[in-house]
Amino acid sequence: CRICVAERGAICSNLEVPFPSECLASIALNSLAPDREPRRGGITKELLVTGSVRWTADEARVLRVSVGSFLDHLSLVLETMEAFGPPAEQ
Amino acid sequence: MTVVIGFEGSANKIGVGIVRDGEVLSNPRRTYVTPPGQGFLPSETARHHRAVILTVLQEALDEAAITPADIDCVAYTKGPGMGAPLVTVALVARTVAQLWGKPLLGVNHCIGHIEMGRLITHASDPTVLYVSGGNTQVIAYSERRYRIFGETIDIAVGNCLDRFARVLKISNDPSPGYNIEQMAKKGTQYIELPYAVKGMDVSFSGILSYVEEAAHKMLDSGNCTAEDLCFSLQETLFSMLVEITERAMAHCGSQEVLIVGGVGCNLRLQEMMDAMCKERGAKLFATDERFCIDNGAMIAQAGWEMFRSGHVTKMPDSWITQRYRTDEVEVTWRD
Repeated sequence: CRICVAERGAICSNLEVPFPSECLASIALNSLAPDREPRRGGITKELLVTGSVRWTADEARVLRVSVGSFLDHLSLVLETMEAFGPPAEQ
Repeated sequence: MTVVIGFEGSANKIGVGIVRDGEVLSNPRRTYVTPPGQGFLPSETARHHRAVILTVLQEALDEAAITPADIDCVAYTKGPGMGAPLVTVALVARTVAQLWGKPLLGVNHCIGHIEMGRLITHASDPTVLYVSGGNTQVIAYSERRYRIFGETIDIAVGNCLDRFARVLKISNDPSPGYNIEQMAKKGTQYIELPYAVKGMDVSFSGILSYVEEAAHKMLDSGNCTAEDLCFSLQETLFSMLVEITERAMAHCGSQEVLIVGGVGCNLRLQEMMDAMCKERGAKLFATDERFCIDNGAMIAQAGWEMFRSGHVTKMPDSWITQRYRTDEVEVTWRD
């Protein structure tokens, strides 16, 4: 996880999550992407199917909260995959 | 045959239920119980759900004796409710739907209660009183919507009871409302409390403030007992609910009442509602705690109706929402 200061004084953070397969990566993406960040929360979050996540925030506090809850959500998705996977043949 | 699995976790209960064509195959549930005097907060409740959800899901599959391949649709609560617990449950629902290659379906929690009540009681077209810790609504079906005829203008009736229980440090196990109900049976004296029906709507926050303020003074002076207060509060709140339900029935010309939601398993409320129904020659329908209180099967049942009439939720549209009114959903599965 990298943290940097981007243009206009915003703080950004990048996270790379390795997955064993593209299929599992896209399942995780689809599970994690629908719930957006609060509209006026001063934060944006971008998820990519390559397994990377990028945040841009006005304040370190909101960045910490968002990254923290993302990691909680991610670990629940991974646990669910372990318990109820592997993906069925479509 | 259509098999639907339902995930519910919008408040302090987490449940997973499986329904096959009107038959509840399994419906395990866990409740997050807080110490006396304390309510449940979103992040702690979400943590509770997260810790047990996969166990509850496995229990639901085992009890129903089915495999994921037998399931036709994965339903989950889209809202209304507390944000963090809703997200926790939605994450698991989305993930298993994709793992198993099944369609996903977001269900309105209130519709879940109504459809479960209709399934269990076989009420055909009832006036519905939906009373729980988060909602208080009088609902009737008309023209493809469950229309809200009356509702609380501030807090839910169950929230009023829960917060009153906190003032008296009444146990939250199994639920504050259940313990108030038991104590109320021993009440002997009716203490007059504010009565706040406003047209078709009700208000509970003023009553709560009044008892919060008065409770300890009255108890300390020995003028009444905690049991008297429980009794008086129940009588007042439930009278208000019966009044607006009766008015909705008169308006709709309805001869059936269905009580759903967690407060709906209170037998004193059922008794008062039944007295009103008898006077009008109407019939009361209610369910017990298995189906009144939040559970997974109710989401599965509403999901079953929706799925059979062609609804599915695309993954990008599967966001949860803390506010989701009962009348926002188009009811495509009823005439």
